[in-house]
Amino acid sequence: MAVNPRRIAAILLGLVLVLGVGIGIVSSVRDSLAPAPVTVSGYIGSEKAAFFADARVVAALKRGGFIVKVRTAGSREIATKDFTGIDFAFPAGAPAAEKIRREHPGTQSVVPFYTPMAIATWAPIVDLLTAAGVVSQTNGGYLALDVEAFMALVAKDTRWRDLPANTTYPVNKSVLITSTDVRTSNSAAMYLAILSYVANGRNVVETDPDGAKVLQAIAPLFLRQGYVESSSAGPFDDYLVQGMGKAPMVMIYEAQYLAQAAKGDGSITPQMRLVYPAPTILSKHTLVSLTPHGAELGSFLANDPELRSLALEYGFRTSDTAGFKAFLAAHSLSAPDTLIDVIDPPTYERLEAMIIALEQIYATGPAASPSPTP
Amino acid sequence: MSPVNGARRVAALVASLVVAGSLLGACGGGTPDAANTLDVMAGSEIKDLEPLLPDLEAATGVHLNMTYIGTLEGAEKIAGGAAADAAWFSHGKYLSLLPGAGSRIVTSQRIMLSPVVLGVRKSVADRLGWSNNPNVTWKDVQAKAADGSFTFAMTNPAASNSGLTALIGVASALSGSSDALDAGKIDTAALRAFFKGQALTAGSSGWLADAYVRAQGTVDGIINYESVLLSLNAGGKLAEPLVLVYPNEGIVTADYPMMLLNAAKRDAWTKVADWLRTPDVQKRLMATTSRRPAVPGVALDARFPSQTLIELPYPARLETIDALITAYLDEARKPASAVFVLDLSASMDGDRITSLKDALSALTGTDTSLTGRFSRFRAREDVTIITFSSTVLDERDFTIDDTNPDGSDMTAIRDYVGSLTTHQTTGIYSALDRAYATVADKQAADPSRLYSIVLMTDGLNNDGISPEDFAAAYGARSDAVRRVAVFPILFGEADSKAMQAIADLTGGRLFDAKSNALGDIFKQIRGYQ
Repeated sequence: MAVNPRRIAAILLGLVLVLGVGIGIVSSVRDSLAPAPVTVSGYIGSEKAAFFADARVVAALKRGGFIVKVRTAGSREIATKDFTGIDFAFPAGAPAAEKIRREHPGTQSVVPFYTPMAIATWAPIVDLLTAAGVVSQTNGGYLALDVEAFMALVAKDTRWRDLPANTTYPVNKSVLITSTDVRTSNSAAMYLAILSYVANGRNVVETDPDGAKVLQAIAPLFLRQGYVESSSAGPFDDYLVQGMGKAPMVMIYEAQYLAQAAKGDGSITPQMRLVYPAPTILSKHTLVSLTPHGAELGSFLANDPELRSLALEYGFRTSDTAGFKAFLAAHSLSAPDTLIDVIDPPTYERLEAMIIALEQIYATGPAASPSPTP
Repeated sequence: MSPVNGARRVAALVASLVVAGSLLGACGGGTPDAANTLDVMAGSEIKDLEPLLPDLEAATGVHLNMTYIGTLEGAEKIAGGAAADAAWFSHGKYLSLLPGAGSRIVTSQRIMLSPVVLGVRKSVADRLGWSNNPNVTWKDVQAKAADGSFTFAMTNPAASNSGLTALIGVASALSGSSDALDAGKIDTAALRAFFKGQALTAGSSGWLADAYVRAQGTVDGIINYESVLLSLNAGGKLAEPLVLVYPNEGIVTADYPMMLLNAAKRDAWTKVADWLRTPDVQKRLMATTSRRPAVPGVALDARFPSQTLIELPYPARLETIDALITAYLDEARKPASAVFVLDLSASMDGDRITSLKDALSALTGTDTSLTGRFSRFRAREDVTIITFSSTVLDERDFTIDDTNPDGSDMTAIRDYVGSLTTHQTTGIYSALDRAYATVADKQAADPSRLYSIVLMTDGLNNDGISPEDFAAAYGARSDAVRRVAVFPILFGEADSKAMQAIADLTGGRLFDAKSNALGDIFKQIRGYQ
């Protein structure tokens, strides 16, 4: 079921080009007439907040005739917002965008950028998990975490200190990947998509019975984390600020890590490692336009060369693969051109059914725990 | 090209006119600008940021209108729909899990960090081998607390975030799994052994630090925010410094989120949160409040240990936290002996005695609000009510075996309180002296409880012994009895200076029921019992 990422890229590029020509004409006409910029309001995933706050982005958008007002929220939360007075929604994942489009017939969407899911971790953790046969160096020149082997470790209730020859992180906590709240956030939903694919015998969950069947294996990977943050900025902040003691492994967007590294402010230390889950999934940042102004903004974001190169600086991948390589080279970073093992998320309904089931478990607690009342 | 330039010039002109207009608007009014004022409901632990607020306002143009409130009380108010633009406590997690409150959090940014850790008197840390020892565990602390060789101060988890945070960490560590707790994994026996060492409690982290300073000769350590412990070490009031212990199983860190509640104030909130998270402000917060930066790229200064701090997970469910607090109060903590000294002089007639009866009755489990549930009398608690006017009128003992609000134990208190009637003059100090005599007897019979005295009076002393006689009698009592504090409640025409003097003499804290409802004050005081 793995989809060739080159094919995805090619399709994306095609789409962008077709849209691009038309919009290019529109925007140059608009530029020369230069009316007062229109104010465009939208909900975005928190992972794009810094991009939209960047003065260069603000200026580029203004050049295109837009003053963009954004509000951040988790992607699933965005999908359920009241869009009165809102021109666009820009969640991090295709399923949330799909839901918004479904509920707002006639809307359009565009994918100006995308980023694969990745795991922010640490050199000692990589060594431990390599020894345990969970992490390995791939032919593509990057580190990959075998999700199936990882899930087997979790199923055995493995503690970090149980791993062979562990002197570097002898901690009693469970081997787990920190995610966001699967009930509110796209990055956790993407993690769920990966886990469900593996638990379903390497098949995208296509029926609710399949979803229900794999849930027993998946639920502990979320529930045992305890309290989780509602959006993706939180756990990555923990990783950067509180370090390995709080966040030995965090499910993030590749873009978060690359952008942080590109800042060159020393917050990415030599001990930090980026590992890709195998399989991984692409988080497609999908702009759903709810008004004509929103649609114009979407096209401009996808096609304006300056905005595309600014998006690269935020670690996002765009249709401009050469630009992505140049960005990595300019900051002495390495990231795979091509990820070998990339899957598709389930449809919105299947994903939503699994999230609702998890929500139910969160609400009632693990089955056999009597809870005294205060 | 020229039309473009022309258009840009027009746009620039329009922009500058807009700017000029808004400047005029800002200068002309002089009235507070509602859009740039944030009403913030804040935890008392954030009060130390006050000196920063003028600079915040100068830099952002946003005025913060701070209202300080206890965590649980704040959570209850927010869940109840109280108007506030933002909330700012040491933790947002309990709030976000609370039905009706979590949904009000529009967005949130953490501002600073402070783990809840253990501070141990240097000589004690040396004796126990805990100085410069990164391998000390909560289990080690539990063992020394259980065998009587280590005592500590900690706030009441039902009243204060530092206590709750510590309880979550300790319970998670003692459960053996270090996983996120669920209610079924709470090891009450292990917690009971741990809390055998708790010699001092309080309803607020700041007050606990003051109480520790007073008791430093007799209490071996204090569990509190790292920032409070570092400030104590820098404060010059300790005979010996505290050795900070970061137990090996892990700790739980407070992250001081500023939470937006009113979506209409998003712009002002964003300015404030962004400013607070700038590297310079983060450095200043670290220097002046001893809290850790919450943003990447700001290095810790030399006061903070460089070791990896293992963070224990926070429970995912409110029910787990509530079960944990209940287990602490009903089973794990040292049982409380609460002495209430109540003024029944003639001036208490009418509304006053009615509100007193209501306030006390509410503690018998009939108040089902969030704060009510956590301030009620608990299992194993010993409640003594001493009533007085010119002399002591009566003294009654109640023991809570059955926590059911309709059971015989709670009903007995309610019936008794309901029967109280007023009498003549006011003999405050004779009644207090009697309370200490009672505490002395009880403590001799059972030293394993935490004792406290609440004094509720609405008038001036005009009968019985003098304040000086009382002070002399108090001074002559044993060390252990003198460590029992009086928490006076200011009510009616009570003399605030005289009441403050009683609090100061005995190490208690004055509560003001002149400007607060008596019922709320009784609930707050429960945090100190």
